[in-house]
Amino acid sequence: MNLQPSKPLEIIVGEGTCGIAAGSNDVRDIFTELAPEAEIRSVGCLGMCHDEVMVEIIDEKRGACLYRKVDKKNIPDLLRFHRGEGEMRQDLLIRSSMPSIGADYLDRQTRIALRNIGQLDPESLDAYRQRGGYRSIEKIIREGIEPEQVIEEVKVSGLRGRGGAGFPTAVKWGFARSAKGEKKYLICNGDEGDPGAFMDRSLLEGDPHSVLEGMLIAAYAIGASSGYAYIRAEYPLAVEYFNKAINDARNAGFLGKNILGSSFDFDVSVKQGAGAFVCGEETALIASIEGERGMPRIRPPFPAVKGLFGKPTIINNVESLANLPWIIEHGGAAYAAIGTEQCKGTKVFALAGPIKRGGLVEVPMGTTVREVLYDIGGGSSAGRPIKAVQLGGPSGGCIPESLFDTPIEYEALNATGAIMGSGGMVVMDTKSCMVDIARFFLEFTQIESCGKCTFCRIGTLRMKELLTRICDGQGTMDDIDTLEDIAHQVRSSSLCGLGQTAPNPVLTTLKYFRDEYVAHVEEKRCPAGVCKGLITHTIMQDTCTGCSICERYCPVDAIAGVIKKPESWVIDPDLCVNCGMCVEVCNSDAISVA
Amino acid sequence: MEENSLDATVDKLLVQKWIAETGKNVSAAVPLLQAVQNEYGYLPREAMDVIVAETDIGASQLYGVATFYSQFRLDPVGRHVIKVCHGTACHVSGADRVNTALRQSLGITDEDEDTASNGSYTIDDVACIGCCSLAPVMVIGDETFGNLKGTDAQRSLKKHARQQGEFLPGHEEEKSDADAPDRKSPGKKKKEVWQ
Repeated sequence: MNLQPSKPLEIIVGEGTCGIAAGSNDVRDIFTELAPEAEIRSVGCLGMCHDEVMVEIIDEKRGACLYRKVDKKNIPDLLRFHRGEGEMRQDLLIRSSMPSIGADYLDRQTRIALRNIGQLDPESLDAYRQRGGYRSIEKIIREGIEPEQVIEEVKVSGLRGRGGAGFPTAVKWGFARSAKGEKKYLICNGDEGDPGAFMDRSLLEGDPHSVLEGMLIAAYAIGASSGYAYIRAEYPLAVEYFNKAINDARNAGFLGKNILGSSFDFDVSVKQGAGAFVCGEETALIASIEGERGMPRIRPPFPAVKGLFGKPTIINNVESLANLPWIIEHGGAAYAAIGTEQCKGTKVFALAGPIKRGGLVEVPMGTTVREVLYDIGGGSSAGRPIKAVQLGGPSGGCIPESLFDTPIEYEALNATGAIMGSGGMVVMDTKSCMVDIARFFLEFTQIESCGKCTFCRIGTLRMKELLTRICDGQGTMDDIDTLEDIAHQVRSSSLCGLGQTAPNPVLTTLKYFRDEYVAHVEEKRCPAGVCKGLITHTIMQDTCTGCSICERYCPVDAIAGVIKKPESWVIDPDLCVNCGMCVEVCNSDAISVA
Repeated sequence: MEENSLDATVDKLLVQKWIAETGKNVSAAVPLLQAVQNEYGYLPREAMDVIVAETDIGASQLYGVATFYSQFRLDPVGRHVIKVCHGTACHVSGADRVNTALRQSLGITDEDEDTASNGSYTIDDVACIGCCSLAPVMVIGDETFGNLKGTDAQRSLKKHARQQGEFLPGHEEEKSDADAPDRKSPGKKKKEVWQ
């Protein structure tokens, strides 16, 4: 966002999906109304989602100031300060071009894939060009760098697939490069299905051209002439911006026939996913583009040899692609210099849950989980201890607090039973029930299982049933053993990653939080107070004021009493469904959950 | 299923136009169904019949695709769809309560039902929409609402209904009032009593 002021006042509003959800449209309207003299622009998400709506205001005297949590109440203060009439709102300031004010959240990150996020207007090709965009593909073509040299450079960088599996990108490209056949395809996998992950959304929304340039580099390396960007339909803004980026790039000569006057042809079209988690798997994604049910196919043949429409196909994840222009520009060695011996470069995480500063975090490989949670994320937001972090969504697992010093590397994370995954990192505190989390993920994978493999189709259902029974207080100790047994069988008898990894949430919670399972079974107690079958809501009459608000919001008419007579208020346990609406609306914390 | 007024009237020419734009081979199946659902909110039988008759996609294949992907639905929806996110972050932050609260406001009591009896709103539980830092989240139309408590969800729904000229079931007779609690008569007790 550090552009020279061209007008007395320049106002830049963050308008990614998070910004819009937090009210950036209203904020923009209010600025338009109150500051008619200003030039108002929008940029994509900066990845500090906890602080939306974010606005940067630039004027010549005071420089650029980035503000958080901007709303209609504080806009007049901000404008007064930048017009030289009032005090600075230090409480809202994230960073300023004036010295002495830093932001741990951004300063502790190493942003390579996210280098442009929140810094440019995602709908502007010129803005991307100004930040060095398309320089890498120009360098390749103008200097006549051979595809093999491009592959070599990426090999030197040590880049591994950022979708989660971590397969070396250059090796995968090598297979497709040497595969026979004129027609080859490159697919950008933007089917970010892990609940709790939004790295790809932010990249596609905030910096679509760098993903597109990454696709160009990859296509050049493997010799592909057609490409698809497979993007989840749940990300409408990403689809819109990416389509615009494709059109603009085509008009500027970066896509189409004879790119930049060379013999290299490449064009891209967007395919929208239709809501199937399994389509993140390569062969299922291919089936989906071909118009079939998205069911995985047996490998080999691998897609690099026989993929989309039977042609050699490379599928790269959004984040992997966004790294490529940087790697070509700065050299593979510069990328390899970041990170550890085994894992090079950086990884982007989407930090969410009860944490102070959630959002996008890009850190060098080897950073510990603890550093991400506390130094960048700022620790718990609710003041309760963080007991675990969930990595890798339904394919991943929960890492307990005792292992927070594990470095972020593929192998080290696998050793804990979790996985690197695509980057979802959801924090769990003492109010999260680990049995409920396992049940939540199994419910998800059971619905998303395509049904091809029996162990995945039936096994996940049985596991879900057992977990539901335990959550309802009906479980036995034998159920826990059965659960573990089925988990191992599903893992070893499924064709694709979905089934092979579906038991991970169960196995890791059983490994690290077995005591919670036992409490559910033997004591009929949910330690976190989450599982509805094991908790009771009670009105504490000595704290109650008798205001009756809980009665009005109770969806099942389970609460009764006389106004202003606290001693008369009770919840009928036979009617109560433990939904928690009463706890939410009670003004005097008079309802206990136990 | 009973015949109901929510069933869409399919414009055959429109479906033919999409076929002309998208193509007739099998790989057009998903984009065609997406176009149909964008228009009607669900996949009406008549529209699917047109696709089967005029493309290379067989009936079983089209039905197979329509039932495989969670985006597609075969039942009609209300005039507005509320997407309630059930991603991990939303789940741990109380997405279930958002559902409970919305169902209360819409008077939906049958567990298998997801549309209000007056055809105003349909509640659609969706997988992660990627706004995890604002959990729990819901989307009504094109508008996203974050950091929701159950009561916030009810308030946002009422505001939306007022803007759209919709009535929530049980409130057809009254003017919508953003501050009044649901279902139970707003006139029964005065607001000051509980504030």
